[in-house]
Amino acid sequence: MIYLFQLVNGIGLGMLYFLLAVGLSIIFGLLHFVNFAHGAFYLLGAYLVYDMTERGLNFWAALLVAPIIVGALAALTESVLLRRIYHLPHTFHILVTVGLALMVQELVIILWGPVGGNVSTPDALSGVLILGDFIYPQYRLFVIGLTLVLGIGLWWLLEGTRLGAVVRAGSESTDMVSLLGIDILRVNTAVFALGAGLAGLAGALAAPIRGVEPFMGVEALGIAFVVVVIGGMGSYTGALIAGLLVGIVQSIMTTLWPEGARLMIYLGMGLVILTMPRGLLGRA
Amino acid sequence: MLNRRDLLKLSSVAASSLLLPAGLRPAFAAGEDITIGAPLPMSGPFAANGKFGSMGTAMIVEEVGKVLDRKLGYLEIDTEGKPATAVRKVQEAMERGVTLFAGGILSSEALAMGKEVAKGKGVFITTAGADEITGSECNKGTFRWSVPTFGAIEQTVRPLIEQLPNAKRWYTITPQYVFGDGLLNAAKAIFKEKGIEHVGNSYHSLTEKEFSGYLTNAMAAKPDALLILNFGSQSSDTLRQAVSFGMKKRMTILLAWASGLEQFETLGPDLMEGVYFGAQYWHGIDSPFNRELVAKVQAKHKMNPNYAFASAYLTTKILIDAAAKAGSTEGSAVIQAMEGMKYTGLTGDEEIRAADHQVIKNYYLLKGKAKSAMKDKDDYADIISFGKSFQSPEQAQCKMA
Amino acid sequence: MNRASLHFLLAALVAIALPLFMRSGTLASEVLIFAMAAAACNLLLGYTGLLSFGQGIFFGLGSYAAGLTLLHTSLPLGVALVLAAIAGAVVATGVGWLSIRRQGVYFVMLTLAFSQFFYFLAYTFKDITGGDNGLLNIPRPAIGPFSLGDSWAYYAFVAMLFLIVFAALQRVASSTFGCTLLAVRDNEERARAIGFPVRNFKITAFAISGAVTGLAGALHALLIGVAPLSNIEYHMSESILIMTIIGGSGNLFASVLGAGFYVIVSDLLSSIWPRWLLLLGGLLIVVALFMQKGLWGLIERLVVALPMGRRSAIKSPIESPIQPESEGRGI
Repeated sequence: MIYLFQLVNGIGLGMLYFLLAVGLSIIFGLLHFVNFAHGAFYLLGAYLVYDMTERGLNFWAALLVAPIIVGALAALTESVLLRRIYHLPHTFHILVTVGLALMVQELVIILWGPVGGNVSTPDALSGVLILGDFIYPQYRLFVIGLTLVLGIGLWWLLEGTRLGAVVRAGSESTDMVSLLGIDILRVNTAVFALGAGLAGLAGALAAPIRGVEPFMGVEALGIAFVVVVIGGMGSYTGALIAGLLVGIVQSIMTTLWPEGARLMIYLGMGLVILTMPRGLLGRA
Repeated sequence: MLNRRDLLKLSSVAASSLLLPAGLRPAFAAGEDITIGAPLPMSGPFAANGKFGSMGTAMIVEEVGKVLDRKLGYLEIDTEGKPATAVRKVQEAMERGVTLFAGGILSSEALAMGKEVAKGKGVFITTAGADEITGSECNKGTFRWSVPTFGAIEQTVRPLIEQLPNAKRWYTITPQYVFGDGLLNAAKAIFKEKGIEHVGNSYHSLTEKEFSGYLTNAMAAKPDALLILNFGSQSSDTLRQAVSFGMKKRMTILLAWASGLEQFETLGPDLMEGVYFGAQYWHGIDSPFNRELVAKVQAKHKMNPNYAFASAYLTTKILIDAAAKAGSTEGSAVIQAMEGMKYTGLTGDEEIRAADHQVIKNYYLLKGKAKSAMKDKDDYADIISFGKSFQSPEQAQCKMA
Repeated sequence: MNRASLHFLLAALVAIALPLFMRSGTLASEVLIFAMAAAACNLLLGYTGLLSFGQGIFFGLGSYAAGLTLLHTSLPLGVALVLAAIAGAVVATGVGWLSIRRQGVYFVMLTLAFSQFFYFLAYTFKDITGGDNGLLNIPRPAIGPFSLGDSWAYYAFVAMLFLIVFAALQRVASSTFGCTLLAVRDNEERARAIGFPVRNFKITAFAISGAVTGLAGALHALLIGVAPLSNIEYHMSESILIMTIIGGSGNLFASVLGAGFYVIVSDLLSSIWPRWLLLLGGLLIVVALFMQKGLWGLIERLVVALPMGRRSAIKSPIESPIQPESEGRGI
């Protein structure tokens, strides 16, 4: 019985991980860009919601606005800084994005202090769902539902629209896309902003569950990498499956062998790379 | 951004520390300033503690001004929350003649620094959580102000069991390391003695942020009380998530090792209402010396002193007083002055036990109040009970070399 | 004077100059210890083209190996250091053997996974490693009649080992083996086609890098008397990599520059402003944008800019393909 509870709880966690990781995956797929600053966008999303609700803004409005601001900041960063380094080897991608992540983290401390804070769950969702022995917070249910809807929307965006076609084509060959007369620079910026905005949204949604503190981005980055690697870089479905897998494993391990949860996850990550180099569903 | 104080530090660092040839290195000698080292995590995940700790040190040093007819100063040392950096910088400070140190928030850095200071015949007083500091790893140079895990549990779990005679089933959530086990073992002993059923425990790693899985385990065990034994942001996360699972309505929650005001500010009254907390210090403590400190901090910083501030203020004061009493900043003389020293502390009368260098002081059980009942913005909790509980130095396994 | 002797001379100069300009033997020792670790990292990054996030594993293992040896046995210091180097080499061989099966980002991610895995391993087996408290009370025994208790005495010991290791790494780099590594890095397919056992070469590079990093970790544990959990953390790998890249991956001496710069600047900044990581972050971006050859590249450019230096400027034999074309134009 307890495993059933943990399974459901793991799905809830997994959906959040999916949202966090899918942006990183898309960015890698199109731009072949290793983004160690992904966690920083998650951090920003969470702090923006915190700031706005502290100022008395409605949580729902904050939830809508925060990812847009994060996306806009990401677009700015991409067009001013990152596009200058795409042609460089991964070493420099890592150097720049690690630097960026450090700067965002320290700016957050300067702006909001080192202590962190709490974001109240909106009143409408502060209750719990009770089914016999099973208890689950309404807010987490809402997160699962919203992520599902977003996931479907994102799938449509990537598979059913012109942008999606360009993104997919671009991840095969950027030259070809350019030859087709598409402004690849603008597509790159849009995709980067979308990916970062999704991380920002994940942060915003996580804020009432986790609270906010300046170092939350580091942990998020770790999880995002695991999910992306297991799922396959650039794969939308892969991120979904891997996100759920990591969430469920993590949750069930808390009952079985809690100290070993992380050990298992990183062991799994290593095994996947070794046996299925492109991840579960990565594009070759 | 950089303020004036930082700029002043910049010029002094550039002038004194690094780029001078060996012969011109500044030396500390008799008749010159007395410098107290304040090794605190100014950057890194525990930067909040460092910030307030540094303010507390600055305040007492300014207040006292002079000791043994020598000007008093302090050296802020950023440990970055890393034991390696902490030890290296403490070594450097000792080479420059600093013998007295008050600081160390994290257990790992405090243990390592204590060893280093003792090796250099200096004195180190800390507020870190690890029992080993005045237990199995105790040494001549290290003192600890904070109450060990044993006392923290005795002064929270025991009074709470008496208050709640119907809470017969307890569940615990414990971080997997020595500190967590210390709290857990103390709690288990009381459960056994009082005939309480310990319906389960969840261990988690020190890097854990997501507690829903552990809380699911806890709820399945249907406890009357949930005892949270981790600390810092982990305990905030555990409590926040426990409240979101509706556990506050179904059981009593006790967070045995809370950080006090700094943590309560991040939690807020909605989460705290009705929850019990254990604390080393609370600005509402009704002692003359504490009331005095609160008034001074209010006047100077327009805030109430939190745990990091108050403990840095007091531990630094202990060092200064001991140096004055010893008539010297020599490590061995100060140690001798501190051993057995009785003084009026923030928590009332406090005493430094000579055998293991543990400060004997009160530990507090607080209860969070509703937002509507708060008299001012920091009035998050009321003191329910307090007292002193300590194992003997032998029980704590301290063998002083 | 050939290039290798010049670089060795520069390294020796650094080892001699540090005591003259630094207040603390501890900080000076740390510079040379990380210089070793960065040079070892450079053997993988600059010479073999492998961006390894696993250096912290070897560093941490070296700390634990030396600490455990000195705590639980009465073996002399030298043996403890050798054991640490062996531990680093053995684990590096394993990590390398598995990691080089993948390339590019997947290689990086694999080393990252290993780094996390070993961290949690060290955390979980706290009876051996001391867990979060770290392995305490590591002694620093004397070598024969020479006590290493004083921080400058220990510095002298570290400096000696540093120069030996630096010279050894230089020999490796300039040997046929080193040249082959460069060939592998520049064009792996071609090297394979010629018949080089590419895999074995890469694994050997890993083993050497692991041995040196393990030794550095051991010296670090002796320096501070503790083997903290943070020595095996992911951040340790990150720091070592950053030092290597800041220095420049062109030659081994560049890593000494990078480590020295990183350690000293971090120490200086952190004593001035608690938010110093903001400046460090900015610095990393500046390096990536404008100094892709690192500090060494900067110095080369300065030397070339001087009228005197124009003649003596020689094109580096290991011009790295990871540097963009435009960088080379100025020289």
